[in-house]
Amino acid sequence: MTTATLEPAVPSARQAATTGQARLTFGRILDAEWTKIRTVRSTVWTLVSLFVASVGLTALICLAAAGDLASGAGGDEPVGAFATWGLMFGQIAALVLGILVATSEYSSGMIRTTLAAAPRRWSVLVAKTTVLAGLLLVLGTITSAAAFLAGNFFLGREGIGFSVTDPDVLRTMIGGGLYLAVLGVFGLALGLLMRHTAGAVTVGIALIFIVGNLVGLVPGAAGEWLTKLMPGNAGSTIATVESFNPDLLGPWTGLGVFVGETALLLLLAGWLFRKRDA
Amino acid sequence: MITAERLTKRYGDTTAVDAIDFTVRPGSVTGFLGPNGAGKSTTMRMVMGLDHPSGGRVTVNGRAYRDLPAPLHEVGALLEAKAIHGGRSAYHHLLWLAKTNGIPRRRVDEVIGLVGLDAVAHKRSGGFSLGMGQRLGIAAALLGDPGVLLFDEPVNGLDPEGIRWIRTLIRSLAAEGRTVFVSSHLMSEMALTADHLLVIGRGQILADTGMADFIARNAAAHVRVRSPQGGVLAEALRERGWTIRRDDDGALLVEGASAEQVGDVAGSRGLYLHELSVVNASLEEAFMRLTADSVEYHARTDQPVPAGV
Repeated sequence: MTTATLEPAVPSARQAATTGQARLTFGRILDAEWTKIRTVRSTVWTLVSLFVASVGLTALICLAAAGDLASGAGGDEPVGAFATWGLMFGQIAALVLGILVATSEYSSGMIRTTLAAAPRRWSVLVAKTTVLAGLLLVLGTITSAAAFLAGNFFLGREGIGFSVTDPDVLRTMIGGGLYLAVLGVFGLALGLLMRHTAGAVTVGIALIFIVGNLVGLVPGAAGEWLTKLMPGNAGSTIATVESFNPDLLGPWTGLGVFVGETALLLLLAGWLFRKRDA
Repeated sequence: MITAERLTKRYGDTTAVDAIDFTVRPGSVTGFLGPNGAGKSTTMRMVMGLDHPSGGRVTVNGRAYRDLPAPLHEVGALLEAKAIHGGRSAYHHLLWLAKTNGIPRRRVDEVIGLVGLDAVAHKRSGGFSLGMGQRLGIAAALLGDPGVLLFDEPVNGLDPEGIRWIRTLIRSLAAEGRTVFVSSHLMSEMALTADHLLVIGRGQILADTGMADFIARNAAAHVRVRSPQGGVLAEALRERGWTIRRDDDGALLVEGASAEQVGDVAGSRGLYLHELSVVNASLEEAFMRLTADSVEYHARTDQPVPAGV
């Protein structure tokens, strides 16, 4: 192709192309996805609401319930279940953020720009997953730790607080980050499958919050196991010092199940992402 | 260079693109012309590797799109206006795009200047007008300084100034030796920008020809002549074997004759002429004739439009 008549108004970046610096690499796709997620306000607002809801609601419930819990008037509710209680609501934000990472590209049509710049679809998906999970792991751990400290402050005033060096407490802090990161990826996979924000949010919230509680109504062992295995039930025990429901899977087993379920959903979403027209 | 070989796209029973072959060459503007729903956008998305062909293949510079080592350096595309996250600024949109292909940050500033978006580069793009969105899309297409450019309906919804700007840009990109592929459903627009024409209808290539050839072949001219002795003149012209029609204002439309011949006939009979001119058939009409059978949805024009519509 003749490029001898290039006018100066369009300075040539083609030199870079010919010297081989300009190549599509995974690191560059990752950098681009990080740039995407940090340059929209919706990310900031979602993460702020994640933090505020988790920490604020934990502090409120502990302030309100600590007295009854200490006197035993609150029945035999496990005190440890209150210490990060607000995360139950904060987690919606993590789910929504994950969904938006996928669906916002479809609602705007930007997905075609993304795939024109980086046609390797699995690489794009892995980059999105890495950026989202990394961000939520850090923010989730901070949130979980802050929520515990806020809740434990009120529990401690009634003499039923936990020691920060308690292994379950440390596990809860890191577990909050792990759970929210996986939940975000779950949302990403769901968003990529459905390509529609409202639809994916509805299905996601229904799956995690409503169906997870309803399957307990199924009689017998089937109901017990369904309850144990529902994604929200299996995953969230890692983010609480103690669980309200003692029949759920243990924290690490539960997380393992949730990671497995999310991985399956992500593989299905990725396979379809690769196969479908953008 | 874009090459399609028996490129096909089916959606269920519908064949949107039907085993088409074409080549888009560097150094000129190739117009991709067809009515809405003819398969233009589908074809362009297949070129970009966004839609998977049901059959056949299409390559850019000899490679499938997804095998290009640095796609933005080889292909730039404006596929739809405002395919941007409304919450992100133009600058950040171009920045993430640049990062994917290792394009330096200063190139982002360059293309912003090139399309004239300097003043609004750091504002959220959600508030952009269609014209500004189009300019941002073009900035994105030029980011990697690619040798191949695709524009899908680039003038849609633009004001006259914007249309002229895009037209000039497209012409200059081709003059620099780039391969430029522009789709439109407007023949008049193509006549002004394209050197070569690919006409598509119902997923099939109806014409693959130079613009000049297309005009010469399809734009049959006729002569318009007005005379106070119209009846006598019409008789005289008919004697020469030319087809005569009468225009609304009484002028005669003569097919098959040149203006000189018509003037000579009138002169030889001593008839007065008030008007003698050559009228070129519109390219739009030629295009309509060509694609008449391939338009998906016909509007009937023989019925009066109901009042109030």
